[in-house]
Amino acid sequence: MMWQATLRDLQWRRRRFLIAITGTALVFAMSLLLSGLASSFTLETNRTLHAIGADVWIVKQGASGPFTAFSPVPDTDATRVAATPGVTEAQPIIYLHQTVGEKPKDINLFGVVPGSLGEPTVAHGRRLQSSGEALADTTLGVGIGEQVEMAGRSYDVVGTTKHTTLNGGIPTMFISLKDAQTLLAGNAVASAIVATGTPTAPIDGLRVMTVDEARDDLLRPLQNAAQSINFVKVLLWIVAACIIGSIVYLSAMERTRDFAVFKATGTSNSALGFGLAIQAVVLAVAAAVIASVLATLLAPIFPLPVEIPTSAYLTLFAIAIVVGLLASLAGLRRAVKIEPALAFGGP
Amino acid sequence: MKETAGADLIVTDLTVEYTAGDYVVRPLDKFNLHAPDGSLVILLGPSGCGKTTLLSALAGILTPTSGTITHAGRTISGLTGKALTEHRRHGVGVVFQAFNLVPSLDATENVMAPMLAAGISSRDARARAVQLLDQVGLAERAHHHPGDMSGGQQQRVAIARALGLDPPLILADEPTAHLDYIQVETVLRIVRGLAHPGRVVVVATHDDRMIPLADQVVELVPRFVSEALAPQQQELDAGDVVFEQGDRGDRIYIIDKGSIEVVRNRGDGTEERLAVLAAGDYFGEMGPLFGLPRSATTRATEPSTITGYSVKDFRDKLGIERLGDIVSVAKQRV
Repeated sequence: MMWQATLRDLQWRRRRFLIAITGTALVFAMSLLLSGLASSFTLETNRTLHAIGADVWIVKQGASGPFTAFSPVPDTDATRVAATPGVTEAQPIIYLHQTVGEKPKDINLFGVVPGSLGEPTVAHGRRLQSSGEALADTTLGVGIGEQVEMAGRSYDVVGTTKHTTLNGGIPTMFISLKDAQTLLAGNAVASAIVATGTPTAPIDGLRVMTVDEARDDLLRPLQNAAQSINFVKVLLWIVAACIIGSIVYLSAMERTRDFAVFKATGTSNSALGFGLAIQAVVLAVAAAVIASVLATLLAPIFPLPVEIPTSAYLTLFAIAIVVGLLASLAGLRRAVKIEPALAFGGP
Repeated sequence: MKETAGADLIVTDLTVEYTAGDYVVRPLDKFNLHAPDGSLVILLGPSGCGKTTLLSALAGILTPTSGTITHAGRTISGLTGKALTEHRRHGVGVVFQAFNLVPSLDATENVMAPMLAAGISSRDARARAVQLLDQVGLAERAHHHPGDMSGGQQQRVAIARALGLDPPLILADEPTAHLDYIQVETVLRIVRGLAHPGRVVVVATHDDRMIPLADQVVELVPRFVSEALAPQQQELDAGDVVFEQGDRGDRIYIIDKGSIEVVRNRGDGTEERLAVLAAGDYFGEMGPLFGLPRSATTRATEPSTITGYSVKDFRDKLGIERLGDIVSVAKQRV
């Protein structure tokens, strides 16, 4: 019975419910975009590390990782690593934060041995062959044949890579190891040694990190941002619950006489509660559907990379149901307290 | 009318008392009623006399303070939990004042609502609702919402809703209150037709036009024939009570000698002294003038003499101008 009464009430007060759905959908869409933002931090890092192609990252003993602290190792350590049992290939790699262009633009700079492990596959153009050449991520906006100014020197872009961003959409550029070392006063050093295979013996003075550990090192500076995003997401869910809760409560207040009549004619509190819960869940799920469409449309024009994973959509629907159920509690408390004797009241 | 003692509605010594604000109200005090099976009973009386309270108790919506209600051999007044819900669903149908239809549901859905709550399938409930709406002459309005119907049509939908589960007891609260005379005629005919063997119909109203329809008329406020009462003098000792809060009476008192205190019984069992009246003062005029129960208790604080007058004698004695003064300060009087 409450199905019918609930659906009819949704139709009856459709304008108000549409406003609530719109407001909640905007809030949900924001939470989805934030999910996509947080998720993109991890996804872009995974893709870039995958493009580099290493199975392990080997850094100086005591260093926290190849990205967050610069603890250089001699580039010749690559030979030592390559000779370690279990390793099939090892190459030195340099990672630096840099800027390019006259109007400084942040990039993640990798120095790699051309044609070897560490150099990603290009989307267009060709791989590095000699000094003065660069591979640039497409988001840097520099085409093949163009030049990039970096630290007082020009680099010819010979190839472009796709999906090789880090640290929240900052593009990555690859140059030769030797060119990168000139930025370090010409010292024959590397940030780390990348290798394929897995060393089965300890390497003196060096620490072997898995790709996951390297990723964690890269993401550590973003941890606070990711936590803040999650915190804001929870706040947004609470806001959504408040919007739906207030509408359902208002609806319950206006339906006081109706509920009294239902009770006087034998409808139980649980049935009334079921009706309110259904109403709130329908509102929340409808808002989630609209939010999904909205977020998908907004994601490409968001200033930061936003990649909303399927799990975020599924989570949103689960959250919508929980939000709906919690929101219905406000109306439920009201409905339970209504005395059926009210039905006998006058107009 | 078929006399079947087993399906009679019997109310015995029914008292309902509750606290309103901080004082006690007793709208029903040892009320008795015997409505034979198949009868139409009309409860007559002004607003506030306990009509709706009695209907609420019969509907199982209000638990009486004491007394019993028995219908068809089943005690209603003691029901709780599932048995009470069962009574509300199957034992009684209520036609509420002001119709109280759910505005978002159309006529058919309003009639279906109690049937669906009772677990009847949607298809069966719809078929029954259509049949009932046809019975009350609203077949063509089956899909109209209450807001699109006249008061009389809404009242007929409310009647159809009350009949959904074919209950053996139908209660109607002021069924003609919001209707014009043309609508009243239709509703009266339907209400009269509801009472038949196997069912008792109780209608609360202050509409005298319904009296000819009734098998039994119960006046909840006794009609005092004030004109026939001669003045009556009473000698009181200290502490003697003139009347109790909640009593009904037809006399207005003037204090000849001594003093009378006016106290109101509060919800927490204590008393609040409202006034102490001296010789020459009068009290107890509000109840007889307006047909209300006494709103306070009065008793002598010392040996006193009072004289009780009928409303007419009191009015003659006081003069019509002073009577207007009484009404203007009615809130302070008992």
